[in-house]
Amino acid sequence: MTLAAQILLHGFGPRYDLPIATALYLYAAGGVVFISFVLVVLFAGDRVGPNATEYPRRAVSWLVPIARSPWPRIVGGTVGLIGFLTVVVAGFFGSTNAFYNPAEYVVWIYFWALMVILSGLLGNLWYLFSPWTAIYDALARVVRIEPVWKLPDVGVWPATAAYFSFACLELTTGMANRPAIVAIAAIVYTVITLAGMFLFGREEWLEHCEAFTILFGIVARFGPLETDRDEGGKISAVYVRPWGVGLLKPAPSGWDRVLFVILMLSTLAFDGISATPAWQDFTVALKGYWLPLGAFGLFAVRTFGLILLTVAFLLIFITFMEAVIYLGQRKVDLKATVSSFALTLVPIALVYNAAHNFSYVVVSSQYLIPLLNDPLQKGWHLWPAVASFTPNFALAQASTVWYADIVLIVLGHVIAVFLSHLRAGERFRTAQRALLSQYPMLLLMVLYTMTSLWILAQPITRES
Amino acid sequence: MSRTRVLVVGAVLVIFFVAGGILIYVNGHQGGQNLTFNVTVTGATTMKPDTLPAHQNDTVTVNITSDTDGEVHLHEYDIAFDTRAGQMVSHTFKADKTCSCDIEWESTGHPLGTLVVSP
Repeated sequence: MTLAAQILLHGFGPRYDLPIATALYLYAAGGVVFISFVLVVLFAGDRVGPNATEYPRRAVSWLVPIARSPWPRIVGGTVGLIGFLTVVVAGFFGSTNAFYNPAEYVVWIYFWALMVILSGLLGNLWYLFSPWTAIYDALARVVRIEPVWKLPDVGVWPATAAYFSFACLELTTGMANRPAIVAIAAIVYTVITLAGMFLFGREEWLEHCEAFTILFGIVARFGPLETDRDEGGKISAVYVRPWGVGLLKPAPSGWDRVLFVILMLSTLAFDGISATPAWQDFTVALKGYWLPLGAFGLFAVRTFGLILLTVAFLLIFITFMEAVIYLGQRKVDLKATVSSFALTLVPIALVYNAAHNFSYVVVSSQYLIPLLNDPLQKGWHLWPAVASFTPNFALAQASTVWYADIVLIVLGHVIAVFLSHLRAGERFRTAQRALLSQYPMLLLMVLYTMTSLWILAQPITRES
Repeated sequence: MSRTRVLVVGAVLVIFFVAGGILIYVNGHQGGQNLTFNVTVTGATTMKPDTLPAHQNDTVTVNITSDTDGEVHLHEYDIAFDTRAGQMVSHTFKADKTCSCDIEWESTGHPLGTLVVSP
């Protein structure tokens, strides 16, 4: 099978899913609205005050020795390093056809799509698998490393910029399906990250400048695992909690963090929107501006589209938050309130990511298996048993995908509405104020969820 | 959140998802037909009609006539139509996989059209 190089969805690879049938889309959209009003009626008067965001959790004592053990990090870090080396070696020495290069699968499917999904379900997997912390920690065992400089007060703006750059690599540069470019990007980012960790301190760099640490930290807040640490930083307890409630835990506030969450939403949405007829019409309407730019033109119009979508999402969010605060009728810190409510949108981003990438993960990921026999396409026979492996499409049948999409989207919406309700109760302190403040937030979440459904229902188009 | 409210939310969601499953099932199972598509490829760049709609488990026959020698490739089903200028090439297969399957001029990768197999 050859790769259709023009398709730049998900970074690389063909798309196996069908647009959701119209009847199902209308049913899901109507259901979202109906269920939202049911939730509002049921939640009215429920849980207000400072304790509104408290949630149940159960200690799991048998996980404590595992969490304290160095072996999960050692094994995970080794796997992460192997993945990184695969990207570099295969990127430079493997096939230039993305479909036959393991580097593409490792980056765009196993890391970017699958690890985000699994981290939302299980917890922060990046904490285990990051190759950069693995390298740093291994070196720190043999060499004393002290920070050279103090990192200025930059918030997470550097991480936000890095995340945006990564999104551009995937969605707008047209380079995501070029293994050598991906390998170069991986090396450059590794050098920057390691240099930053050595010069400014491991935790300082990771918590402010490393995009994936910030991203997976947010995603893991949705996950079911939570730890307590003692004064020495050692894990003292491990808990399981309901999915999503971790997003209610106190978190740093700031417009940089709000923008990071908005970018999570907008980049995912752009990935889907860029395959719709509406996007094609948009690029055709602007062709007078970008065609004269030649080879740079498509990158320019796509990046412009991504920035436009991000700004639109941000402005819409802030507008609705102003309405939330106004109706909440209580003087609150704007930045802290906006930051805390931004996290309640994360479930919508995560379920759309899972729905959008469902068939990509369950089908395209299997194409890596036959490549294990000859990963660099040199005529090797490392594992002949897998050479003739053909992917199983059982989970990619349209009806299965559609049903999974609807279930995921609606569940994510319900969780987001519930979290937002609890946050409003904590912020605005009375049932009446909390309920009033939730009407604009509910409308915003219905709009975001409808956007997700609309994208999934659009005919799939291809740029040419 | 009180237990009663949790149960009500759960019940609403269960009803919604069961009804959705029934909706998908009722709208599916339209396949099993014999379909024939007569397709013309011009200049290795365009195909008429460019969209071939089918349902899962239809038996599909695609007859391609091209004005150029070359391979037209149907992805996902991995079927190659080795065309000769002016001659019709035909393949019959069972559409057992749902997909939006790309049809390309193989040597250039130029997209020609799509076979859409719905449930």
